Amino acid sequence: MDVVWEHREAIALAFAYTVLLFLIAGVGSTILGTLLAGMRVGPIPVLRWAGAGYVTLVRNTPLVIVIIFFRYAAPKIDLKFNFIDVVIPTGAGDIRLNNIFAACTVGLTMYTAAFVCEALRSGINAVPLGQAEAARAVGMPFGGVMRHVVLPQAFRASIPPLANVQIALIKNTTVAGALGVAEAFVRMRGLINIDATARIPIFIAFAAIFVVLVEIISFAAHRLERRVRVA
Amino acid sequence: MTVQEESAAAPGGTGQPLVRLTGVQKHYGNLHVLKDIELDVARGEVVVVIGPSGAGKSTLCRAINRLETIDEGDIFLDGQPLPQEGKALARLRADVGMVFQSFNLFAHKTVLENVTLGPIKVRKKSKAEADKRGKELLDRVGVGHQAGKYPAQLSGGQQQRVAIARALAMDPKVMLFDEPTSALDPEMIKEVLDVMVDLAERGMTMIVVTHEMGFARTAANRVVFMADGAIVETADPETFFTNPESDRAKDFLGKILKH
Amino acid sequence: MRRMKLGMTAVAVLLAGSLVACGEAGEDDDGGGGTGVEGAEPLTVEAESDCDGKFEEGSRMAELAEAGEIAIGNRVDQPGLGQQDTPDSVPEGFDIDMAKLLIADLCIDPESDAVNWTEAVSEQREQFLEDGTVDLVAASYSITDERRELVGQAGPYLLTGQQVLVPIDSEVESIADLEGEEVCAAEGSTSLENIELEGAVGVPAATYGQCAEDVVNGTVPAMSTDGSILRGLAQQYEGEVKVVGPEFSEERIGIGYSPDAPEMCEWINGVITEAYDSGDWEQAFQYHLGTEDEDAPEPPALDECQA
Repeated sequence: MDVVWEHREAIALAFAYTVLLFLIAGVGSTILGTLLAGMRVGPIPVLRWAGAGYVTLVRNTPLVIVIIFFRYAAPKIDLKFNFIDVVIPTGAGDIRLNNIFAACTVGLTMYTAAFVCEALRSGINAVPLGQAEAARAVGMPFGGVMRHVVLPQAFRASIPPLANVQIALIKNTTVAGALGVAEAFVRMRGLINIDATARIPIFIAFAAIFVVLVEIISFAAHRLERRVRVA
Repeated sequence: MTVQEESAAAPGGTGQPLVRLTGVQKHYGNLHVLKDIELDVARGEVVVVIGPSGAGKSTLCRAINRLETIDEGDIFLDGQPLPQEGKALARLRADVGMVFQSFNLFAHKTVLENVTLGPIKVRKKSKAEADKRGKELLDRVGVGHQAGKYPAQLSGGQQQRVAIARALAMDPKVMLFDEPTSALDPEMIKEVLDVMVDLAERGMTMIVVTHEMGFARTAANRVVFMADGAIVETADPETFFTNPESDRAKDFLGKILKH
Repeated sequence: MRRMKLGMTAVAVLLAGSLVACGEAGEDDDGGGGTGVEGAEPLTVEAESDCDGKFEEGSRMAELAEAGEIAIGNRVDQPGLGQQDTPDSVPEGFDIDMAKLLIADLCIDPESDAVNWTEAVSEQREQFLEDGTVDLVAASYSITDERRELVGQAGPYLLTGQQVLVPIDSEVESIADLEGEEVCAAEGSTSLENIELEGAVGVPAATYGQCAEDVVNGTVPAMSTDGSILRGLAQQYEGEVKVVGPEFSEERIGIGYSPDAPEMCEWINGVITEAYDSGDWEQAFQYHLGTEDEDAPEPPALDECQA
């Protein structure tokens, strides 16, 4: 365990990256996924088609390829994130939200959004048609029907699948490690490289922290589910 | 219940019908569900649509606020043709109250929120104003004390009365009732019909699809009998129930009045 | 002259899914020259013919010679040390030549299918030796005390140091100029740790090819690892990047062997010493790692085998 304790600051910093990747991509993918779901169930054929096309393309592409696209192919067509350079100083060293972090976050966001969209759509399909009809009957336009009546109920039905999507996201952040962000998985591999004798304690320490993080998400989802449940 | 004027003529009519359907046709694949429908409903008139299952009654009702599209023909509301889609259609729907067979109360909103959502979001009323009017309407339909509950906590009859209050909160020009009592237990039917009769007496223009012959007799100005997607017969309730013209109507009444 | 076309389109990336695959296309475009001194001759290694009684009965070497098969853990993404075009081909590089000398000494043809070349990325190497996935590791394998607790390491047969690769027009002269800047290295490697010790921000990548790509397209200002690897990359991206700065670390590269077969140490040291004496070591060095400006260095002194 010594090597873990010795490097505790570096490990904390690595998990800070993991959590930041998760939080930013989590919020971003929820917003983008909700818009996509709205497009997919909406009345405008072009948007329906575009939403379905997005989900088909992105959901069927391995995450690593989506991120590689933003990391290595996008710069070649001058899609760069060099304007992003935020430095957050901490006791354990700077957290750098730079062009690489941004590219990985965008990749994670776009990938996860496809799954958020489908989780929400399953929730939307679970809302009885009569709810939308009643909302239309009081004169709400499509946006209002979605915002005030369908989505709040769809969201409730979608919490368990959405929690799954977000749990997958926090684990998927490790892919960013292979592509330039010094997150937890990279730090774990680095420590094992420094001291392979401590392989098992290192592995247990990192797995335990991941378990705690995922449990926090599960707990939050469970609380949310209970709060929005209607008697 | 007091009986309305027997006359089929529109009480207080201004000449132009409030709802007009001309040459309306609709198909579901090969099934011809609305056949050449011609129907005028005058301001303040209560029209009850009856007929056997599958006659197209509900489809007719839902076509009037375009929850169902039609293939041919025109529907006018207060002289305006029904818009195809979008904001104009939404505005028109705001003026047409609709009560569904399965209530369709917003499950995630309280009873009072169900009634005030439309006025606040569509009519842009203040919350205070909408709440005040909402409570009045809930009192009027007899569920004022349930305002803070969620729909699932109410009985079917109570839910349907909330649904009527929700429609009334929009100050509609006309109210559509699509089999409002069909999903209710027998002991709850009366409490809903009482509210509807009260509405009729206050002069609301109503189009009611129902199997409640008692309501048709007492509250209707006119009975429209439909079968196989077509309007077979139109008459005042007294004439229709005592002396129907068509064989289809005689057959239908014979079946339901036996019990 | 060996500049590879890494001009990937977006579609190519999506299809290939791996920069390794892209980076190694176009290998045989230079008429067989190595990454080292221009015109140097490659080392040809031929299998010994008679291994009967050559090794002590019951030793791992005898078992391998008897079986006629061997598995080697090697790198595939380090030009000059260990690079492999396709999983089926025989890799090339200085590490590989050392491995071939050992293989040949077991009377196994190093160019034949009897050799199972297996990619061993940094943190897999001990594991592969412990569980017997490979018999030897020749994969720019730095000798450290921690590693020697787990596995056997013979050598060093090469001393290298970490340098910096920057774009050709960069004003960076050494790692000292990169304090607080992003510098790329392979994840799980000692290089990444060293970068951080020097005050730069480590940017992990799956392979050195990805790092080089990031330097070329301006995503990071520099990458850093062993100078020999960087020089190989600099040839791939000739005219776009350059290697700069003094070596700021010392890596002692050796051969890894199973902890259960300590008898291999003396054998490995023996084969390497033979290569030092015969000139094979120098020839392989010049072909893969040598430069026009300097003669080949003296081969490093080998560590004593622990009892």
